[in-house]
Amino acid sequence: MRRLLALFRAKWCMGIHEIAGVRKQSKLKVCVVAVFVLALWLGIFFLFYKGFGFMKRFNPGGFGPEMQTIGETVTVRIISLLFLAVFFMLTFSNVLVALTTLYRSSEVEFLMSSPLYLSELFIARFAECVFFSSWAILFLGSPLVLSYGLVYNAPWYFYLVAAGFSLPFVIIPAALGVTITMVLARVFPHLNRPLLIMLAAAAVTGLFLYMRRSFDVESLSSSDQMLGAVLDAMKNTQSAFLPSFWAAQGLLSSSVGELGPTMFHFLLLLANGLLVFRLALYMASKAYYPGWAALRGSGQARSRPRDRGILGRIDCWLGFLQPRTRSLIVKDIRVFWRDVSQWSQFAFFFGLMAVYVANLRAAGYYYLEIAIWKNAVSFLNLGATSLILATLTSRFIFPLISLEGKRFWVIGLAPVRLRELVWQKFWLSFATCITFTLGIMVISNVMLKVEPLLMFLSCGTIVMMNFSLSGLAVGLGALYPNFREDNPAKIVSGLGGTLNFLLSIAYIMVAVGVQALLFQARTLNLIPSDRRFACMVAGVTAFVVLVSMMATFIPMSLGLKNLERTEF
Amino acid sequence: MIRTEDLTKGFGSVLAVDKLNMEVQSGEFFSFLGPNGAGKTTTIKLLTGLLIPTAGRAFVNGVDVQLDPVSAKRALGYIPDQPFLYEKLTGREFLRFVGGLYEMDTREVELKAEELMEMFGVLGAADLLIEEYSHGMKQKLSFSAAFLHDPQVVIVDEPWVGLDPKSIRFIKGYLREKVRDGICVFMSTHTLSIAEELSDRVGIINGGHLIAVGTVKEIMALEATRTFEDVFLELTAEGNEG
Repeated sequence: MRRLLALFRAKWCMGIHEIAGVRKQSKLKVCVVAVFVLALWLGIFFLFYKGFGFMKRFNPGGFGPEMQTIGETVTVRIISLLFLAVFFMLTFSNVLVALTTLYRSSEVEFLMSSPLYLSELFIARFAECVFFSSWAILFLGSPLVLSYGLVYNAPWYFYLVAAGFSLPFVIIPAALGVTITMVLARVFPHLNRPLLIMLAAAAVTGLFLYMRRSFDVESLSSSDQMLGAVLDAMKNTQSAFLPSFWAAQGLLSSSVGELGPTMFHFLLLLANGLLVFRLALYMASKAYYPGWAALRGSGQARSRPRDRGILGRIDCWLGFLQPRTRSLIVKDIRVFWRDVSQWSQFAFFFGLMAVYVANLRAAGYYYLEIAIWKNAVSFLNLGATSLILATLTSRFIFPLISLEGKRFWVIGLAPVRLRELVWQKFWLSFATCITFTLGIMVISNVMLKVEPLLMFLSCGTIVMMNFSLSGLAVGLGALYPNFREDNPAKIVSGLGGTLNFLLSIAYIMVAVGVQALLFQARTLNLIPSDRRFACMVAGVTAFVVLVSMMATFIPMSLGLKNLERTEF
Repeated sequence: MIRTEDLTKGFGSVLAVDKLNMEVQSGEFFSFLGPNGAGKTTTIKLLTGLLIPTAGRAFVNGVDVQLDPVSAKRALGYIPDQPFLYEKLTGREFLRFVGGLYEMDTREVELKAEELMEMFGVLGAADLLIEEYSHGMKQKLSFSAAFLHDPQVVIVDEPWVGLDPKSIRFIKGYLREKVRDGICVFMSTHTLSIAEELSDRVGIINGGHLIAVGTVKEIMALEATRTFEDVFLELTAEGNEG
């Protein structure tokens, strides 16, 4: 126990030093991030507050005041659905976080060589895993709880109950996720590559089918059936065997002052949390150390012939580029591809995009029959594709310059100008991201059957966004590099990475928002003539181009200047 | 103090360490030599429990590393070639943390940490974050951490990188002094002159096989060449893999 306490004390000290280190960061950067984080929280709070308020009043059936309104019934189901979604997200997030925290971290090697019992080491790493995978969910969950409490006049202890429920609620998916990772780490080193690919393909197909079935909106063929179908579709979230249901029920009971059911559900959650954690601990005693040691020893020397496979042929395919640029690009692609954690996240991300696009087909059946939804869905689609792009650039492009840091002696001594290096990253980002996002845009627009003008504008916007979001990510990556860190996920989670993501979101909101407003105004007949509308389209397009140019060139220029000043 | 019995480690079809049998006594300075990829680091990782042997056993202070890892590690001080240090801790906080891991008395940790940091020349930077340390300072701090709990066995993997001549001289003297006090030092290095100067015995590994063990004089007697470097190169020449 003393050893564990020493470890937690050290982590506490590190946390304090990390927070104190914020003072050394650029004031502007800290302020922008703080303002955006606050705005994000307030935005979510506002959305939930308005949403719950609307649902509370929504009562088309005209039930009496003593009965729950339809809106309230839907709210209960929506909360259960949210908890269920969070539960699955946490489980998946823990699978990924556990891979880094329990297996890949160099800290584990240090701790393994110290006289810690394996159970102590596991508990310490598990706690870290829970923290890293769950803090954001808790941060984003707080406006939901607060807004619900305010709308439904919940008693003061509702908020305490919510805080109390959060710990056992995050422990269950964490224990499940960590256990899955331990099993995978034990099994995977012994599997051959074709079998691995088949398993991954089966998992992605299963996920795809499950999500299609769960979010099937084709059945919503008429508005009469909509409410019944929504309630029906959410029935699965009400299973009494789901931890998300216990958490939701406990919380909802406390909001109306029913302390008995609250305590029952809390104890149910706690007992199951402890049980699942105990099982994870047991699994750790059997599988953690052998799996960790096996993963460290699984790197076998393999010769990589020059002209075989995709990686071997990139050099030839890019033969039209200058040798220096080609070398840099080929290096970036090879390093990315050979880092399992990088491409596995990319592959999962790509799977989710496929699910999104496949579901649009169903959305096309219903929403596009109604004019007002037609624009909204088209621009929501543009927004969603832009967010996919922002996630891609923030996660994979922003760290590229930082990752050069420790190896800068190679590029720094070579006859390569920094300008070339920075623009090479930019073009690499542009070329790879546009392949995915323009493809998604075209396919999704076809599925949504949008009009030609909207198709042209949305595709043009996506091309502009590839420019600007690549410029933002590469530029801010050069402006706020982290040359000490080798782990791209950690580079992204720093202040610079957060700032990049938030600025990307702000840019998307502006670029998509102005166009959406214009088309919505036309649908509502607020624009008197087609000529006026055409002029306004031209004006808005010019504005978006201007903002995009600024978002591309300002960060690129600032980043380049910063790199030129940096001493390596 | 350190003993291996048919210690074997394979990675796929490659045997990195093959039936290694050796013994290092307390109060002995043992240098472990070999060309790159010979199996030195794998052996060290097997001795410290960072790898699981494919076959055979490793003992530290009489304890099987796999059967009772905690007892074995309590007796062990390990200085890896690339030491892991918590960059967001100060040097002093790091040593307090290490003291906690070894369940040392708080007051004892404070005194010992102060003494070691002064000895290794990092006391002036004790309250700076480790991220501000140079490579050499980090190395000295990891020496301080390894000796904090008075280990019976010290395993050092290529410790000289990044150290200035004064520090190298100090550490050489310190290690010898500890050996005189009865500690067993097991050092892996490529610096033959230091191995020759400090070691009571040396072991040469090549292709996973221990191809020579003995005092420097005994090993030099194996080949009719002039220097220890010549002998090493003769023994580890391609084809001489046991």
